[in-house]
Amino acid sequence: MTNNLQSSELTRSDVEEFLYWEAALLDEWRLEEWLDLFTIDCLYEIPAPDRPDDDPGETFALIHDHRAMLEQRVIRLKKPTAHAEFPHSRTRRMISNVRILGRGADELKVGANFAVFRMRQGIEVTYVGRYEYVLIPRTDGLKIRHRKAILDQEVLDPHGKISIIL
Amino acid sequence: MTSIEKLVVDDRERGLFRVHRSAFTSEEIFKREQEQIFNESWLYVGHESEIANPNDFHTRRVGGRTVIYTRDRHGEIQVMLNSCRHRGAEVCRERRGNRKVFTCFYHGWAYNNEGKLVAVPDGDSYSEEFDRAEHGLHKPRSETYRGFTFVNFGAAAPSLEIYLADARYLIDLVADQSTTGMQIVRGIHNYSMRANWKLLMENSCDGYHGFTVHQTYFEMMMNLGVTPGLIADKSNGSGRELGNGHAVAESPELGMPLMSEEILAATTERRAAMVARLGEAHTKRMLNTTRNLILFPNMALIDLNFGIQVRTMFPTAPDRTEITGWQLMPKDAPAAVKPYRIDNALTFWGPAGLATPDDVEGLEQCQRGFASMREIEWSDISRGMRSAEPTAVDELQMRSFWRQWNERITGEKSLPEGPRYDTSYLGGATPDAVLETSGSGPSQ
Repeated sequence: MTNNLQSSELTRSDVEEFLYWEAALLDEWRLEEWLDLFTIDCLYEIPAPDRPDDDPGETFALIHDHRAMLEQRVIRLKKPTAHAEFPHSRTRRMISNVRILGRGADELKVGANFAVFRMRQGIEVTYVGRYEYVLIPRTDGLKIRHRKAILDQEVLDPHGKISIIL
Repeated sequence: MTSIEKLVVDDRERGLFRVHRSAFTSEEIFKREQEQIFNESWLYVGHESEIANPNDFHTRRVGGRTVIYTRDRHGEIQVMLNSCRHRGAEVCRERRGNRKVFTCFYHGWAYNNEGKLVAVPDGDSYSEEFDRAEHGLHKPRSETYRGFTFVNFGAAAPSLEIYLADARYLIDLVADQSTTGMQIVRGIHNYSMRANWKLLMENSCDGYHGFTVHQTYFEMMMNLGVTPGLIADKSNGSGRELGNGHAVAESPELGMPLMSEEILAATTERRAAMVARLGEAHTKRMLNTTRNLILFPNMALIDLNFGIQVRTMFPTAPDRTEITGWQLMPKDAPAAVKPYRIDNALTFWGPAGLATPDDVEGLEQCQRGFASMREIEWSDISRGMRSAEPTAVDELQMRSFWRQWNERITGEKSLPEGPRYDTSYLGGATPDAVLETSGSGPSQ
């Protein structure tokens, strides 16, 4: 049996490779494979736009998905009856300013900036913000325990909706 | 007026109701709405729990203006226009906070939180005719009912309570859910829609769209082991007019996703306490029906049992709407129930929920479809029009809204439709009949 990756040995380049792979899965709508990147005890969240520093579990946030709801979100998005995303948006993610913010015995805290472009029916919007990740090194690579997308937009105008994974 | 002779066709005999699609697209009608509806109606500003302490304030846009919603140093609720009486600049540029004084940074005029002008730099240079008392922040009429604060920019409107008519029962059914008061949860959803505001008013009380638009939401619930009330119960609820353009769609409870043993126990205990306080019939109406209430012109108060959504929608153009969503919670909800309600609420509502984006998509597709207006002039809202007992999946709710809208825009009056809201759960302690006496429109 092979050993888990060691968090102390991982470089920013390793982390960037992982985040770019994740972005590619999302841009290609390979959402089931994307879901496989998460641990069972995972959390995906987007804070309320006017309360970016508050716990999304205690505020009227935008997203606060534990594993069960994250799976349901993915199942839903792949259906043609997920009307807001039928036909699917085209998206293009730019991930930059990747930093390893902390190293625990079996986890990495990572920060990054994002710009997500979403194009649909001739309308283009750009979501801008930063990610906070807790990544877990495993034998088969990194896994996501916590993924938080913090929007810089305080008012979702003209975005209107966040029907894609951000 | 535009060249259209009639905007609403209300044919009671044949049971047909149509709205001309220019109501959603015309610049002229958009302007009339600003003057004849938004400048003359009670408009929701905020909930008193958002300004719990003296000097707490929020700034927000209401009816195209920016207002300061604050609790002054004496504890009184104040709504003031956020515009300096000197040259017009906004005196408060923060979204929220706690302040006793609002100082305009342009020339330094300062106002206390009762709106009084308290400082004018170099004030001696003004003539003796300049009266500071006449230069306080402008305060439009504002009134608060059961914690919900409204403003009215017009002079002729009746009191808020009269205006709310039978909608008061529905507000009471929310406000009475806690003996310690209701609380707006921190976190506000501000988002926009490329569609006319009235489409969202219709949608906010539309039971008919539930299974088509939100099929994936119900599938999610069933995947997680919940049977939605509508499926289990087979009842289609009721649609009722509440007077002055307000209306409600009431349905059996929707079900509670992700319910744990702990939450179930806390919810059961809470219900028992409610029965002891208010009786079974009242409790059932409060906790075991879902109620989609619309308040004319632009507010919705939606209680789906797992959460309570407060929503306003203001047009910025015929095809653009600014939407605000808040979440309301009983202050005394058990500690485990609060995050459970929040999770359910944001999973359904809001711009990243599993339901609301599909609503917005539907309304934006309607707006796109209106491009064919020359060929397809009318939208149909006739469903259930000759029914003696209109249901939540009929369209009486929307017709109530549209009749009031039509009266405001064209002056054409209409009679109520359908039975009055059933208040038998109050056990005969029904307040005076308000529907008949309040009439409609701001002139009465």
